[in-house]
Amino acid sequence: MPKRKAIHREKPRERFSYDPTKVLNKLEEYGKRILEDIKAGKNPYFDIPMRGLNNVYFDEKRRVIRMGDKLSRRYFLNVAHTRKFMQTVLLMAYVKRLVSENKHASLREAYYANKHTIPGTKENTFEDQRESDPIIEDLERMMGVLREEMHLTADRRGYIYGDIVIRDGEDEFNTSKLGMGGWAVPGTVEHLQFPEINVDYALVVETAAMADRLIEEKFPKKENALIIATQGQASRGVRRLIHRLHYEEGLPIIVFTDGDPYGWYIYSTIKQGSINLAYLSEKLATPEAKFVGMTMDDIERYGLKNVTEKLKGIPPNKKGGPTGDYKRIIEEMNYPWFQTKEWQRQLKMALKMGVRIEQQALANKSLEFVAKKYLPEKINNGELLP
Amino acid sequence: MAEAKQLFKEFKIQSVSEFFRRNAAMLGYTGKIRSLTTVIHEAVTNSLDACEEAGIAPYIRVEIEELGREHYKVIVEDNGPGIPEKYITHVFGKMLAGTKAHRNIQSRGQQGIGISGAVMFAQITSGKATRVITSTGGEEIIEAWVKIDVDKNEGKIVKKEKHPNPKGWRGTRIELEVKNVRYVRSKQGVYWYLKLTAIANPHAHIELIEPDGKLIVFPRSSDEVPEPPVEMKPHPRGVLTDDVYRMAKKTRRNTVKRFLVGEFSRISDKKVDELIEYIAALRLIKTEKDKSVQDQLYERLAKGEVKAVLRSFRGYTKVVKQVAKMMEKPPEKLTWHEAEEIVEAFKYMKFLAPPTHGLRPIGEENIEKGLKGILKPEFVTAVTRPPKVYSGGIPFQVEVGLAYGGEIPAGFELLRYANRVPLLFDAGSCVTTLAARSVDWKRYKVDDLERAPVVLMINVISVHVPYTGTGKQSIANVDEIQNEIRLAIMDAARKLQTYLSGKHRKLYQVKRRKTFEKYVPEIARALSVLTGEPEDAIKNYFISYIESHFAAKEEAKAEEVSENA
Repeated sequence: MPKRKAIHREKPRERFSYDPTKVLNKLEEYGKRILEDIKAGKNPYFDIPMRGLNNVYFDEKRRVIRMGDKLSRRYFLNVAHTRKFMQTVLLMAYVKRLVSENKHASLREAYYANKHTIPGTKENTFEDQRESDPIIEDLERMMGVLREEMHLTADRRGYIYGDIVIRDGEDEFNTSKLGMGGWAVPGTVEHLQFPEINVDYALVVETAAMADRLIEEKFPKKENALIIATQGQASRGVRRLIHRLHYEEGLPIIVFTDGDPYGWYIYSTIKQGSINLAYLSEKLATPEAKFVGMTMDDIERYGLKNVTEKLKGIPPNKKGGPTGDYKRIIEEMNYPWFQTKEWQRQLKMALKMGVRIEQQALANKSLEFVAKKYLPEKINNGELLP
Repeated sequence: MAEAKQLFKEFKIQSVSEFFRRNAAMLGYTGKIRSLTTVIHEAVTNSLDACEEAGIAPYIRVEIEELGREHYKVIVEDNGPGIPEKYITHVFGKMLAGTKAHRNIQSRGQQGIGISGAVMFAQITSGKATRVITSTGGEEIIEAWVKIDVDKNEGKIVKKEKHPNPKGWRGTRIELEVKNVRYVRSKQGVYWYLKLTAIANPHAHIELIEPDGKLIVFPRSSDEVPEPPVEMKPHPRGVLTDDVYRMAKKTRRNTVKRFLVGEFSRISDKKVDELIEYIAALRLIKTEKDKSVQDQLYERLAKGEVKAVLRSFRGYTKVVKQVAKMMEKPPEKLTWHEAEEIVEAFKYMKFLAPPTHGLRPIGEENIEKGLKGILKPEFVTAVTRPPKVYSGGIPFQVEVGLAYGGEIPAGFELLRYANRVPLLFDAGSCVTTLAARSVDWKRYKVDDLERAPVVLMINVISVHVPYTGTGKQSIANVDEIQNEIRLAIMDAARKLQTYLSGKHRKLYQVKRRKTFEKYVPEIARALSVLTGEPEDAIKNYFISYIESHFAAKEEAKAEEVSENA
């Protein structure tokens, strides 16, 4: 009889829904409005919610970073706007074609597909992918649809391993039966279905090395967990997958990163969403996610002092400081979503100790330490940070 | 005795050519390039003057043939009135006998010896006579070879032929053979001279065939033949003792008084009475021994207190009567000393400003035509200032033309003229150069004058242009003249500024408009995909929207301008 776990699967709270006609209708609606304006002798424009820190706020109630209501108006007849106006309609037309033909394109493909020289000039419609990517983000914000819903995909990054069955188009497979490498998460996870979920929770792991270690130690089988490797900052596909697994399938989400400002920020992005994609927080963020480690307390508790590394940069009490990691930690301390007793304590400790601790440092004990002792102990005892 | 006679003759021959050589600089025959330009200048000036007087639109053709090293044949042909047979020697032969040399008239000729100097130059360098072919349009064409008889200092026809004139040809063609000159296409050369002449004489058609056979045409750009200048009576403040003395000898008036009233401007009977008092006062002041008292009296005289000055001398009426008597004697009996007294008194008296009706500016319209026709600029403007007076009594007038852009190459160019005649030398010391440099061009949107495609022409017109030096290629720095030039330049520059700012605005608008228009096809295609409406219709919506937007903008701008005006 397995002992009672602190972590177990909950009831689903969201139903999967995806309607391609919604995107098509919106596109047409916008196009028609532009035409009406021009016919009436008015300067046509798009109202696009502003991006950036100025237009995001932390929704205390829902615990996610959300976009404000500041709009920027993009006119056709404005020297500073007209090029972007042109690019916007160009990509809108492209999306319409993609969705109606049920094709997917990567961001890079979308860039190349729409890049051409404007007749009579030496100017290209897009000079760089850095021009087309923000326009696509603009479209998402403006129309309130996901890039994935517009059939635009990002590079895949991250993989999963665990006893769940995924239906991807005509294919159906169990992600614990695809070898030690698991299954790579595509840029778009909107179309995925989950016929079978045989795990209790999902463990989101920052580094691939640690995910591989856990798979090799058969951690997923023993602990009935799904491993999600983000390989650094979680991609949109991964974040959306986490969101869906949590809300549609009721899987608790536990995050395992390095004990440094970068790792904690990965956690924060998964949990509250990011500033850049604030408009998608409701679809990407998972505020109920919990944090298992690494924490500053782990250093003491597991005797890892000799495998810590010094923080980079100048501490705040030294001349020229704070810079580097110190500066980053202080910023995080000021984020509204880190305003909990536990997190403030962790961040203060980090500042005081001036060290960081990597996941792999646990190998200092033994290779299987993390899988046999560290994680099961902390997770099953519910020693998690909010 | 025969020997002595021979010697004397040789001496005389030598002396006339010697005179020419000694005064070469003054006459314009220094340097190989300049000498050739001067020859052309004299011939072309003659043609222009003749046409002007006859009211003919000039057609002048200059041909330069290279016969050998520094050896050329110069041919100048015009469609002027032609020269009657008996005047040929007079026109081409007499040195220092120019018709305008001693007249108070605005003239192109500066040197006073004109075409005869060119004939002389040809004669002393190549030894050849000048060939003249001319007809007044009558039955016959006269072909004559003219030389200057250095013995008698007059023209001599060495050979003459008459030809029938079935086609009624009219005009004059002269051919001179000159040596020790060089044809170079420099800014002191013939090409440049003719180009500048064409600009200042837009009514003339000028052609040049260069030694290598290249034909250059400076076409006529105005049909209006300017009226010949008229002689003006000299103003008392603008004359020298010599002028008065010489004029008195020549006049047909009976008395000095009548001579003064009749031959000078701004002198009335009343002014002569005044003059008598001034001369008397000056005579009396000179008798004063005490230097400081004398200076005081001069000062008071300058202030116009002539009566008070006279009264301070005992028996002054006697002196006044003596002077009054002088005014009644025949002018040819006027002595040099008396002429001197008159001129000195003039300096202390007040006169009305001299008349200016004799000045003949090119005119703003014609300057613009000339600059446009020859330089093909994108913008041209001209300013003719009202006549002014310098050193008290010499009328002058300043004109400037300003051309910008178009076919004008980058780099500031100053074209200087005196009485329409291009000045090609000594630019550095010329008042026009100083005035042009003293203007702050940046204020007129010409940021880098040295690299701007700007041509500035300045024409100073006067009966007596104050030249510096003997070369007569540079105008002296007279304050009044410099000031007028400055004002004229600034006036023209303001117009250029208006044009340039308008141009910038227009260019900016065109550029703006293009920014929008270039995207229209892209937008139309995309919107057609989005909405299903035909691409062309959408394109038209956008284009007409842009058009109406910019049209409204132009209107707003125009209103704004007219409000400001």
